[in-house]
Amino acid sequence: MKRSELAAALAFLLFGSLLWSAAAGFPPGVGGLPGPGFFPRGIAAVMVALAAAWLARARRRPSGPPSVPATGAPQAKRVVLTVILLAAHLALWGRVPFPLRTFLFAALYLRCFDEPWRRALPLALGSTASVVAAFEYGLGVSLP
Amino acid sequence: MMGSEIGAALAAVLAWDVLLFLVAGTVLGAIFGALPGLTATMGVAVLTPLTFWVSTEKGLAMLIGIYCGAIPAGGIPAVLMNIPGTPASIAAAWDGYPLARSGRPGLALGVNAVFAFVGQLISILFLALAAFPLASFGLRFGPAEYFALAVFGLSLMAGVSGGRLLEGLLAGCLGLALATVGLDPMTAHPRFTFGSAELLDGLAFVPAMIGLFGLGEVLARMMEGSAGAAAAPAAVSRIRPSWPQLRRMAAPGLLGSGIGTLVGAIPAAGGDIASVIAWEQARRLSRRPQEFGGGSIEGLAASASAANAAIGGAMTTMLALGIPGDAPSAVLIGALLIHGVQPGPLLFRDHGALVYSILFLMLLAALLILAIGLAGARPLARALRFPESWLWAAVILLGVVGSYALNNSVADVWVMFGAGLLGLLCRRAGVPVGPLVLGMILGPMMESNLRRALILSRGDWFGILRRPLAAALLGAAAVSLAWPAWKAWRTRSYSDPSAKA
Repeated sequence: MKRSELAAALAFLLFGSLLWSAAAGFPPGVGGLPGPGFFPRGIAAVMVALAAAWLARARRRPSGPPSVPATGAPQAKRVVLTVILLAAHLALWGRVPFPLRTFLFAALYLRCFDEPWRRALPLALGSTASVVAAFEYGLGVSLP
Repeated sequence: MMGSEIGAALAAVLAWDVLLFLVAGTVLGAIFGALPGLTATMGVAVLTPLTFWVSTEKGLAMLIGIYCGAIPAGGIPAVLMNIPGTPASIAAAWDGYPLARSGRPGLALGVNAVFAFVGQLISILFLALAAFPLASFGLRFGPAEYFALAVFGLSLMAGVSGGRLLEGLLAGCLGLALATVGLDPMTAHPRFTFGSAELLDGLAFVPAMIGLFGLGEVLARMMEGSAGAAAAPAAVSRIRPSWPQLRRMAAPGLLGSGIGTLVGAIPAAGGDIASVIAWEQARRLSRRPQEFGGGSIEGLAASASAANAAIGGAMTTMLALGIPGDAPSAVLIGALLIHGVQPGPLLFRDHGALVYSILFLMLLAALLILAIGLAGARPLARALRFPESWLWAAVILLGVVGSYALNNSVADVWVMFGAGLLGLLCRRAGVPVGPLVLGMILGPMMESNLRRALILSRGDWFGILRRPLAAALLGAAAVSLAWPAWKAWRTRSYSDPSAKA
């Protein structure tokens, strides 16, 4: 059995169950006709059934070659760092000015890809200036 | 009436500012298609916010330019580097790359450009001829038929999920579930909003698309490893094919265009499937089948024309019935809705001029991409040397600012971020993202029409099945789901004697 497949099937099973229980609280339909919870519960039931079938298949099937390329530690580290940098960029929205935040994000992101500072800093500056020019001055979007 | 609509459409399309947006969209689409790591779907999703502030015609011009420009340009890295720029260019690499390796990269690029144009042209003709009758047929649909059509579209998308039927169906269900967030369409009861006023209108579709196809794709590619500059392509020689070569490629090109148009018109089956089928059929019918896969110009013509003809086919189903033909057209539906254009039969009845505008814009985009393919292949080939990490940074920044710009809302940016992580997880778990998006699009249509149909039949489920067209569509959905499962079971029982016993 493949671990990623098993985890995904379990996640769908959990999501379907949560959806079912959350939709159970919606008011019933009038005159025997479907109410707001009817459709979400129907989807939840189908999801649980499909996820259970996937789970059963994943448990039966021997481990084969991975369907997606294997990931090395440096690649995974880059993804995690990019996600953290982006989350920080969004969390600081409205507190730190957009150009400064974006410049820092771009510079640190490029450093994650082993770009030397002498190249990362001008590139970050250029990309920040381009985004601000295009959206703030070109399209009139106010970027806080 | 029709003449005045055509006149109005021509006047709208030939305005210089609309043409400018079309050129900008086509060039941007070509860049997205040509650069490995960026895709047509990503291009439409990420660049949609750039069209928010302009009129419907200009917005349409840019979006159509991006879509029509990205698919043919995807053949450039396929030919020069054996890396398809978009999934539709997979088969173009089979003959294009060997042709380029044999010292004729210019010819390979030229064949790709010319037959991309031929494919697009023929499919636009099909769109012009077939979309209006299909839309007037669609006007006869009631709630039961619309519900059945949505089920059929979703079943097809899940059925062509590359042998991952269960995963495709689950992704579709997840999309349907996400589409239920917000006010209930019939009773206005808030669902899954967790007290947030921003979720009352539902999950913002465009930021979700940007996240799934922009950030999600970037993170998935980052995970796979390559981030440096792609291999430098060879110097590009003479690009235009000669007349004898064009004559030799005419039949496979036309065959590919026909197959591409028809396959593209089937909901969920896009240019990738069309190009592979066309290449195989052209090989069967060719006098030189042994050359296919080794640099055959006929094989390249068939695959390039089919990949591009799928655009018109997909647009036919999308515009006439509101069902997207492939992933880029699924994203395009969301973008069109932002511009107040609701694809479906009513669009043809109420806004005929707009439909003609779309046709003319596609025609002009096809001409532009021919010019770009013939004259701009060299600079695009040079652009392939950009490191992917730089391009990813541009996609992430565009995604962040574009999602925010939609409603000046940080919540939309978080939706984009969440959808990006979901897209990454789906790709890592082998769950296709296409059905998820289709579920999000078809969810509201499916739910409201199912409930309306049940109200009309006074809660009788069999009332839906008593409508012949609805029953036929639901039957077709059942067959399209059962077929891959049956094929897989047959393959298993033939390869495993114990299972047979």
